[in-house]
Amino acid sequence: MATRTDNQVRELNPEEWAQRVDEQARKYLGMSGEEFERRLRAGEIDIDDSPAVTRLAMMLPPNGTRK
Amino acid sequence: MAPGSRTPAEAVEHYRGRTARLLACLTNEHVVVSAYHTADPPHQLELSDLAKLRAPHPLRLSVGEHYEAREEADGWRVEIVGYNYAIEHEGGDLVSYHWHPTGESPITWPHMHVSTDIHVGERWFGKVHLPTGVVSLERVVALAITELGAKPLREDWERLIAEAADR
Repeated sequence: MATRTDNQVRELNPEEWAQRVDEQARKYLGMSGEEFERRLRAGEIDIDDSPAVTRLAMMLPPNGTRK
Repeated sequence: MAPGSRTPAEAVEHYRGRTARLLACLTNEHVVVSAYHTADPPHQLELSDLAKLRAPHPLRLSVGEHYEAREEADGWRVEIVGYNYAIEHEGGDLVSYHWHPTGESPITWPHMHVSTDIHVGERWFGKVHLPTGVVSLERVVALAITELGAKPLREDWERLIAEAADR
């Protein structure tokens, strides 16, 4: 058992973060990050629809605007 | 309680390190954070992906937090202002703790969902928002280890849980 392994912390700039949202949306929901955000904001997707939706929703900018 | 930090940036660095150490109790997945200096709060921290836990049964962990640095009497501290902590079992949610006070959902208070086949009338109980207080990540890590059989990856996991709680 390792005793001193710390997980790496990787800081993403806004462009990298948006790319990450897009990758995760395509991987888990089969849609682009932009489509996911639009449908969530429009109420077409509920944040509690699935674990993946909740996770992706929490990845979006909390105040609803791109940083 | 540990003393506050001299600057917001220092408080954020302490928070990031403390959280990464805490998550290292369960997974080697790296932690991703939104850029602190180029973005408005709240900021974001997440596990990079669903983390498969070392356990005799298929458990996975998902972690996302929203946070802000706030000045208090003894210095700067990081406050969690939203989260998604979920433990999956065999590909579906086993238990999840949510707090999303901003956004489209009308459910702005901390709550949890539990996996179940129960229906209350036509309402599936798994979709019911069970009210909670604010739940801390260290309690979820402790839950995974002490109640759900996840094997800690670090011998000092109890110290790290205590460190995370002492903020």
